[in-house]
Amino acid sequence: MNDSVLILSIASAIVAATPILFAALGEIITNRSGVMNLGIEGMMLMGGVIGFWAGNNTGSLTIALIAGGLGGVSLALIHAVLAVTLRVDQTVSGLSLVIVGSGLSSFIGTSGEPSLLSARNGVEVTSLFPSALRDLPGVGPILFGHDIVVYTGVLAVIGATYVLNRTPRGLALRAVGEDPAAADAAGISVVRMRYIATAIGGFGAGVGGAYLTVAIVGTWQNGLTAGIGWIAVALVILAGWRPWLALFGALAFGGLNGLGFTLQLAQVNVPSDFLKMMPFIAAYLVVILVSASPNRARRLAAPAALAQPYSREDR
Amino acid sequence: MMGRIRVIPRGFAGPGVRFGVPFGALIVALLLGAIILAIAGNDPFEAYSTMFDASLNGWSSITRTLALATPLILTGLAAAVAFQMRVYNIGGEGQLYLGAIAASYVGLALPATTPIVLMLGAMLLAGATAGALWALLAAVPKAYFNADEIITTLMLNFVALSLMNWLIFGSRSFWRDPRRPVPSGKRLPENAVLPSLSGRMHVGIIIAVVAAILLWWLLRKTSWGFQIRTIGDSPRAARYAGMGVRSKTMAVLALSGALAAMAGFSEVSGVTKGLEPVALTSNIGFTGIIIAVVARNNPLGVVPVSVFLAAITTSGSRLQGIGINVQVVLLLQGLIFLTVTAGEFFVMNRISLSPSNVTEAADGTPPSANEIAEATA
Repeated sequence: MNDSVLILSIASAIVAATPILFAALGEIITNRSGVMNLGIEGMMLMGGVIGFWAGNNTGSLTIALIAGGLGGVSLALIHAVLAVTLRVDQTVSGLSLVIVGSGLSSFIGTSGEPSLLSARNGVEVTSLFPSALRDLPGVGPILFGHDIVVYTGVLAVIGATYVLNRTPRGLALRAVGEDPAAADAAGISVVRMRYIATAIGGFGAGVGGAYLTVAIVGTWQNGLTAGIGWIAVALVILAGWRPWLALFGALAFGGLNGLGFTLQLAQVNVPSDFLKMMPFIAAYLVVILVSASPNRARRLAAPAALAQPYSREDR
Repeated sequence: MMGRIRVIPRGFAGPGVRFGVPFGALIVALLLGAIILAIAGNDPFEAYSTMFDASLNGWSSITRTLALATPLILTGLAAAVAFQMRVYNIGGEGQLYLGAIAASYVGLALPATTPIVLMLGAMLLAGATAGALWALLAAVPKAYFNADEIITTLMLNFVALSLMNWLIFGSRSFWRDPRRPVPSGKRLPENAVLPSLSGRMHVGIIIAVVAAILLWWLLRKTSWGFQIRTIGDSPRAARYAGMGVRSKTMAVLALSGALAAMAGFSEVSGVTKGLEPVALTSNIGFTGIIIAVVARNNPLGVVPVSVFLAAITTSGSRLQGIGINVQVVLLLQGLIFLTVTAGEFFVMNRISLSPSNVTEAADGTPPSANEIAEATA
């Protein structure tokens, strides 16, 4: 029963959801501080190439993910300088990260002889749990069949929820995102908080990108994220800036991403080009539905100061 | 005591600043690119001089650059008109594909003997209409529900890409040439091809430049354009003044989509001469966004900026010949985008290095706490 179409597709949806989840969690934290960073796609690409390179050289999954995360942070800090310090339009700044990230990652990925394009994956990803658990009928492959990163993603959701809602730092971060002037008056450094939150967002996207290259795809290709970063941007809106809802949303998008695989197993013949459209059509519809929902102002509110640069003078 | 660095918001940025800052940003981007090339073990001077030779030195290089600048002008205008109103149409890429699909359909469906002017006019019209309708898929939800157009236009890019790929690679559609074993588009008849002016440069460049002039006139010389710019600067004031923000949002996005789709028409008709997904997916739509930002949304500025970015892009293949990573082209585009975006700070603000204690700013405004605080050099 463990190789039935349903179970295999749920298990693959969970794996496909993981990079989206890390990127979306990071973006939620960035957004909650009032900074909008549309550059996830670029940060994921940087994380993907650096993580793959690090994995190729060290063979360590941990080092690959951390290196990938730092790759994302490096771009995120550029965004922080532009958006927080120089107070330029955050939409434009985020878009510039996408182009820089795809250009720089492609440049790094094709530099050197031989380049990373032909490099083999240095990281071996193994399941966390013993085969006794993995082979349990039904629940085994779904609950116990994954590598440590998948479970870390769930822990990260719990951690982010706790930090945002239950700790003074989380409160300070949200205050900066809701009313920076009041937070400033209360002695919180708006600039520092926003830099940290933006860097965390970059780390999440970078880890997601690295997981994509070393654990899912297993090779480096230029532009390999192919829109996953943008799905994460849409997911943040769908989740109403809440980590828990992002977890379920990521699973849904992961399922859509793996739909082709599922239908293939079920021997349903749908042109692959239409399958590739599915997550993007879903994200398009979701953004419209969330916007059109009459209750959204109360239930799914964006941080009040999102994308608004803060300057003491403008108070 | 050392002087202080002070940040003073400009009330109004003069033309020197508005042109000078992006120009300075371009220089900075090229310097950053040189540093990265040097780190990668290349000779930056060799790289840049090769790029200049390949793109701007000699008539045949210039025509090649102008051929590539043609669609870039159109996607640059598409982004500029939307950004002018602070509507972020990131969907130029997808609108371009729809324009290419519709224009090539008309070119293949009409009798090959249709007079050339009629044929090209019908293709242009069909392409622009398809692009406008595709943009409305994002514009209507934006106008009625305030659905984020950045995300909707972007998602529609991926849908349009898969649609175009399906027409050629995934099916035996009307667009696909049944006789060739390798999936490719049917060739357009002679009367559906934009005539060459010189080398690869074709009539499309004239259409693009005329479009730039018309758009400049529309935005700067008509009350419609004035309203668009007012909505972009202060949407609330525009709403109180009864400027019809909703209908203008849809109109601007439709116009933007039509312009991007005209780039698709220009490419299928003037360059690929059939629906060729691989050749059409070369980031023309995204590059248009960079162009609009560098040109600060000025339609007349879009033309020279497009030529400049086309020059960088067209020299990529020549770089490979001297052992330089061709991806440096995309990297340079990104660096330009980044430095010009950062440069906006210097357009909006004046940096003053006052030698002694704080005195009144030159423009008469008293110094504020923020100017005096922080940054002491």
